[in-house]
Amino acid sequence: MEDLEELKSLTKVKLTNLDKCFYPQINITKGQIIEYYIKMASKILPIIANRPIVLTRYPDGVNGHKIAFFQKNAPQGTPKWVKTKPIYSPSTKRNVNYIICNDIDTLIWLANLSALEIHMPFSNLNDIEHPDLLFFDIDPEAPATINAAAEIALLLKDKLCHIGLTPFIKTSGKKGLHIIIPITPNWTFKETRTFVHQIGIEIAKENTIATSEFKDTKTPGKIFIDYLQNSPMRTMVIPYSLRPTPNATISAPIEWHEVKKGLNPSNFNISSTQDLKSYPWQNIFEQQKTLPL
Amino acid sequence: MGLEQESPQHTERSTEKVSALAPSRSIWSGSITIGLVNVPVKLYSMVYDKGVSFHFLHKTDGQPIKYVKMCTKEDKIIPWNEVVRGYEIAKNEYIIFEKQELDVVRPESDKRIRISKFVDYFSVDPIYFDRTYALLPDKSKDAYSLLLNALQRTNKAGAGRITLRTKEYPALLHTYKGALVLTTLRYVYDVVDPQDFEALHKLVAPQKAELDLAVKIVSDLSGDFDITEFQDTYKQHIQELVNKKIKGEKITVEKPLEAEAKGLMVALRETLKQLEQK
Repeated sequence: MEDLEELKSLTKVKLTNLDKCFYPQINITKGQIIEYYIKMASKILPIIANRPIVLTRYPDGVNGHKIAFFQKNAPQGTPKWVKTKPIYSPSTKRNVNYIICNDIDTLIWLANLSALEIHMPFSNLNDIEHPDLLFFDIDPEAPATINAAAEIALLLKDKLCHIGLTPFIKTSGKKGLHIIIPITPNWTFKETRTFVHQIGIEIAKENTIATSEFKDTKTPGKIFIDYLQNSPMRTMVIPYSLRPTPNATISAPIEWHEVKKGLNPSNFNISSTQDLKSYPWQNIFEQQKTLPL
Repeated sequence: MGLEQESPQHTERSTEKVSALAPSRSIWSGSITIGLVNVPVKLYSMVYDKGVSFHFLHKTDGQPIKYVKMCTKEDKIIPWNEVVRGYEIAKNEYIIFEKQELDVVRPESDKRIRISKFVDYFSVDPIYFDRTYALLPDKSKDAYSLLLNALQRTNKAGAGRITLRTKEYPALLHTYKGALVLTTLRYVYDVVDPQDFEALHKLVAPQKAELDLAVKIVSDLSGDFDITEFQDTYKQHIQELVNKKIKGEKITVEKPLEAEAKGLMVALRETLKQLEQK
């Protein structure tokens, strides 16, 4: 009873269905998911602060009968203290009322909404038209594996460092890798997209298993360097977000020296948080560089 | 409904049982007192308001709201021990009573339904009927049955008084579907005399031909009264909506679990400390 009272005094969120099972294979409850996001909050919040976020909600867990759904608009019943920001969507010709997650209570509220996955765009509210991040999505098509993706990621790292940028890397939580580069927000999405595509094309010339062309994405054995997400309000899964995999993997920021043969994305999951004391993305926004355009 | 399906002797009945469920607990017990004769009885609720009712919830989080007693001057919530009763003697002028002062004059329930005389049941205008309670025999079934049969044979009702909780009511003891029932009555001061409406004065007497026609229409449309002909369509529509909403999103009252609370509390305390250091 005292624990419950203290918990209530620490958060504004009214927690519900804490004992409901969300990952049936490994018996992870919603309470444990919320606990995970609380433990990761000090790493997550600086990255996603002041960015509109998009949720994938799994109301019945990852094996639920109901399918998951994307949610861009703040849902009905969003508490008043949750910050939101309407942003015009040219494709639907309507405002989308995005959730802004700048504090721990909002993060807890999202987890309580069974938003296992959280996604963020590559620009922030200070200047939503001009990205402050570049994004390379390295996606191996079977029979290619994460080992081949790691090989391509290292090629990309060398190239990016060579032109004066500071790349950061995380696992996607599935089979791919994500490279993120902080930049000064002086370019349009069209410019960053073209830049990322150009780098991808150069890598594809150096190593023929790589491709940066959309038409080749489903070619067996290829590693697709996806540049297309570098667009307004397109998103990536946030660092430390859970993924809807049977063993609750996360999209884990890692050190570059960990990017090598034998890298196993499933080593990074909800239960391995003890191994996540290090923070490879520390001070990422202090590494903003200008693009050589 | 469920009970009827289990009893074969009822299967030929075409209409479903639609009356309210009988309560299991009595709300009062005492005696009907007629002169020196006592008939011990228990009193049960018999009429309800089972129409559509809603709970008020807070729109943004779906949780029940509650009413609080606010002082209109100080704009703060007042605990019960600071509440007294005020009797309004003029607009915004009150005489104050403490609870103890009122307890002295409050009628005491003496556990009796005192019948002073018997009247023709139909001589009591239903305008005065307030609330009807079922009376069931307590201890002696013989005395109860005797009184029931006597009233049925004579078509009479007993007029008297009963004190329920802290209020004394005029009451009518009568029979209904093979039971003794008690209907509390309204005091005269609670009922308007329609002749006090100006518009009813100087009504013009109708022409004979018109009246004959009106009387014919009334007699043509005459029949027996059947309450089951009247359905609460609003309630039915709401029930349909409820069934639809149950399949979609339902607002549930939120109760965190004790067992899960500790882990979350510890993690949150730790994280809040980390966030503060930044």
